[in-house]
Amino acid sequence: MSHVDEGTLHAYLDGELPSAERTALEAHLADCATCRANLTEERALRERAAALLGSARPAERPAPPLEQLRRESKRSPWHVRRSFAWAASIALALGIGYYLRNPVEEMAPANTPAPEFGLYDRQAAPSGTLPAKAPPGRRPAPPPRPPRPAAAELAQMMEKDSAATRVALRSNEALTHAGPPSAVAAAAARPRVDSPSANLPTVDGVLADRSQPALAQANARGAYNRSARELVDTAWPVINQPAARSILGAEPVGLPGLTTRKIRRSPGSDGTVVVEQALDASTVIQIFQRAASAGSLSDSTSYGFTGGFERARANRLARFVGRLRVEITGPLSADSLNRLLEQVAPLP
Amino acid sequence: MPEDIAEVYRSTYPALVRFLYRKVWDQGRAEDLAQEAFARALVHRPENTRGWLFVVAANMARDEARRAAREKRHLTLLKSEPDAVHSSPEEEIDAETRTRRVRAALDELTPRDREALLLWDAGMSYDEIAAQTGLARGAIGTTLARARRRLVEAYDTGLEGGQHVARG
Repeated sequence: MSHVDEGTLHAYLDGELPSAERTALEAHLADCATCRANLTEERALRERAAALLGSARPAERPAPPLEQLRRESKRSPWHVRRSFAWAASIALALGIGYYLRNPVEEMAPANTPAPEFGLYDRQAAPSGTLPAKAPPGRRPAPPPRPPRPAAAELAQMMEKDSAATRVALRSNEALTHAGPPSAVAAAAARPRVDSPSANLPTVDGVLADRSQPALAQANARGAYNRSARELVDTAWPVINQPAARSILGAEPVGLPGLTTRKIRRSPGSDGTVVVEQALDASTVIQIFQRAASAGSLSDSTSYGFTGGFERARANRLARFVGRLRVEITGPLSADSLNRLLEQVAPLP
Repeated sequence: MPEDIAEVYRSTYPALVRFLYRKVWDQGRAEDLAQEAFARALVHRPENTRGWLFVVAANMARDEARRAAREKRHLTLLKSEPDAVHSSPEEEIDAETRTRRVRAALDELTPRDREALLLWDAGMSYDEIAAQTGLARGAIGTTLARARRRLVEAYDTGLEGGQHVARG
């Protein structure tokens, strides 16, 4: 047997040599001083390489405490991302699977309301019955839907949005081109029910455009972000924080530590304010907010604020923060937006 | 099964963070991406969760690197990089300096060698590395041997290049 090559020696040292070869190698080593010396050398090399790599390892740490994250997040948007990480770890620890277990109850109202339009329509429900005045805490009974398709739908959505997150981190613009059209197109293809929205408090400037075919088509092409953003950009007057405070009756909310680019108010009289914040150079999120009393929306419906074209994108999530009802949108996954939404707080 | 992913999460998360860290060189980002990978695994339910996670993580890290390259100026402002290599003995080099040197040494490897080495260090078997990198299984030993040698040589060269350091 000729001398053993270094690849075989490393495989041997790694315990990855098939047993027949190992036996042969060991027999050879017993007889061959050169290969024994080589083995010693390669072992040292292997250990040194492992030690070097080991010295460049991250500290193994559990999810950092919230307070620390808050402090870090004040420094730069870069650090804010860690708080997503933290949130994700908590979500995983608590069982992020709740998204999948209970999609209709928990996620569908905020994330995938579009099918409900379709259902209301299909069931020929009187359009005025949408619970615009539903008492807080009582959800409108979700239309019976087989859970499996809902879960699949959600999974598909999250899958697409995960990809979208990656894109969004790189470029806001890219998303508008990369936007996966299926959900959007499906929503656009659904019959529209106009009358429910008429009963709902809405952001006039945005919702008004829902019925415009041009926008619907733009939406179907996956141009959600651009159209939504530009719409607000053009139609919503920029205001300052004191003005926002007086509209809302409370301090406007945003993500701590993020730069607030602009605060705008709705062109209508519905008392809606949007805070635009930059996550990084190319990613802007919009935090829509309104005094909860002004909206009389029930907790779980996400009707209002904006039209179906945005919700079709399934990344508009809502919660109450103090006296405000807050929705968030931006070129991030629903998951990320949800985590961001959890962190909104009154602006300093 | 969620329990399976939970188990993989428990057993693989540190290795995945480590793997990502050697690619993005930021612990927070590495953790963030690792968690994102797991979040996706929960949705996708891949058959081979571990292998799948590393593929996804590698892709995310690559995208991240592209993005980072674009934002380099910005990051340079945020993280003032200490400049010169200093001359204390290897034992006393602070962790940050050593990490930077290892990073520079890893940069000297070919992408394929580096990938194989990082995957091995993350606890992957030769079979898994072969599946991941597309290398023949029989070539993994040679690849790792070369990667390790190159890493050590590049690290030592970096030391000598920076200062006249007496290495033990």
